[in-house]
Amino acid sequence: MLTILDNFTKRVHGFFQGHVYRNYLLFGAAVMMIPLMHNFGIIGSGTLGIWAYIVIITVVALGLNILLGFSGLISLGTAGFVGAGALGTGVFLNMGLPFELAALLTILIAAAIGALIGFFSLRVEGIYLAIATLFVGEILRQIYTQIEIFGGQMINIGAIRFLGFFTLNANPPSERRFLFVIIVAVMVLMMIAMHHLVHSKTGRALLAMSRSQAAAQAMGVSILSYRLIAFVTATVFATVGGVLYAVYIQNAPTTAWTLDLSLFVIAMVVVGGFKSIYGTFLGAFIIHGIPNLILAELFGDVSYIFSGVLIIVVILFYPYGAIQVFYDVRKWFHKGRLKLTTKRSDRSA
Amino acid sequence: MTEFVRLFFNSLQTGSIFALAALGIVLIFRTSRTTNFAQGLIGTFNAYVAAYFLLRFGWNVWLVALIAIFTAFLTGVIIDTLIIRPAAKVNPISKQIVTLGIIMILVGLIPFFFGVQPLLFPSFIPSRFGIDILGATLRYNTVFIIVLSVALMGAMFWFIQYTRWGLATRVTASNETTSKLMGVPTKSVTMVSWATAAILGTLAALFVAPSVSVQPNMMLNVQLSAFFAGTLGGFSTFIGPVVGAYIIAFARNFTSFYISDIWGNVLVYSSILVFLYFKPYGLFGKKPTKKV
Repeated sequence: MLTILDNFTKRVHGFFQGHVYRNYLLFGAAVMMIPLMHNFGIIGSGTLGIWAYIVIITVVALGLNILLGFSGLISLGTAGFVGAGALGTGVFLNMGLPFELAALLTILIAAAIGALIGFFSLRVEGIYLAIATLFVGEILRQIYTQIEIFGGQMINIGAIRFLGFFTLNANPPSERRFLFVIIVAVMVLMMIAMHHLVHSKTGRALLAMSRSQAAAQAMGVSILSYRLIAFVTATVFATVGGVLYAVYIQNAPTTAWTLDLSLFVIAMVVVGGFKSIYGTFLGAFIIHGIPNLILAELFGDVSYIFSGVLIIVVILFYPYGAIQVFYDVRKWFHKGRLKLTTKRSDRSA
Repeated sequence: MTEFVRLFFNSLQTGSIFALAALGIVLIFRTSRTTNFAQGLIGTFNAYVAAYFLLRFGWNVWLVALIAIFTAFLTGVIIDTLIIRPAAKVNPISKQIVTLGIIMILVGLIPFFFGVQPLLFPSFIPSRFGIDILGATLRYNTVFIIVLSVALMGAMFWFIQYTRWGLATRVTASNETTSKLMGVPTKSVTMVSWATAAILGTLAALFVAPSVSVQPNMMLNVQLSAFFAGTLGGFSTFIGPVVGAYIIAFARNFTSFYISDIWGNVLVYSSILVFLYFKPYGLFGKKPTKKV
């Protein structure tokens, strides 16, 4: 019995230790099953919307994880860039540009602003840098709400034409399922991109920088270029999140991109797990999914209290993120197996 | 000239409110090593307490303000003992998110206790009392807010500078571990700091309440400005954020009147960013020495 169990766990282990892409693809496929559940009537369409938001915000939080987890930098301006992604796509689409070009232009503009913040971060640090990014976020927010091009309250985007030949609209449920699959596919792509980034020379340099800037510099890591890389990557991820928002929701409000959203994205990284790709998704699920899917139905208005308590409790018990729960479980599992095997050897002796 | 005088007193009033909030934020930043994002909402919650007693029992404004200050003290103590102290060992970024958790708890508690309707709150001295200066009406309430805030902050600076407890606060702010080893009761210092910060935030909330009414995001603008004031003045001194608060209030009021409402704000924020580039630790801040 035990040998079968042993074999089985080894198999499972081996499978997950296999090619890196397989895990992400499997994970993406699992998330893509959610619209099917909607098909069979297990979950409502509102629930699908919540899952879509989790997927979108995971992309944003992944970018912030590069800043917070890997580089030890902080940004309170994330919401401004998500807004840039959604509103920028809307503006360019309404100007008649094809979707791909609109998204690309938006991302390039946002990346340029990100690079500016990167330059800025060379002089300013700690809480001053955090609040400086908050300034940027506030400036962006003022621009969104006041300039006419952004349509005052919101931009209506409407159906989106992909690659110039197929059009998807958010309204009929059948097409919305396709949109969901598309945003999950983008999320998986971003996860793989992040995997490569953090396992490359760049990732190691960022880690070195976050531990000790002086030591990293002494080892020949250029602080300027890696801070630029960190900020530009984070901005690009946030903007891609915004573009996905435009794709799935198909209208972009101008007033939603406040400090609160930035704080929630930071909370996802902190609660889910610093430096962990799956942890970021878990964080997004804990911060956005659990309150909206479970607590809101149970407690209504008062559910905020429970979400707040949940955040605090997770941080107190898992200061490096809830993803550590799985490591703990694995440890218990191994310990249990060890105990069983030693018992067996005792008996045979 | 009339407009100028009006704007001048207006900016002094908003500057005082920003300064109160900023002082609370910097007090917590220095003693607990965290950016307290909940500062605004702690004030809002206690402003709700005041408005509730006022509307429900018809009590005097001054009496309900005293009650709110008392509950603010309690809120500060409770938050410190139940949440911040157990989180002493978590890293600074996680600690900030703990304050986000506090925000969410308070946002959930407000409809539970006080309902979802915004509550009205009158000014301390009714707005019909005032004097004319160069054609502009100066309300006694404005004078009251400015004088009380300045007096309060003056008293706090005196307290921090010249009393034993103030010394304990300063040493805790400079190095908590060493002060603990020297026998400073750092736990009580942090607790009193949270209580004081909560009271300062509540006062700021009560002062803005007449113009925006008591509702969950009444302190949004004040809190943002308080953060900006802290950055502009420098978080390493207590006087810096206060000066920064007045500068921001004046700059925002005057640019929004003489240039335009939106672009005034954008202009002020951008110029502060440029200023930060050249003086990264604010007006009064010093570059912290770093050990390699």
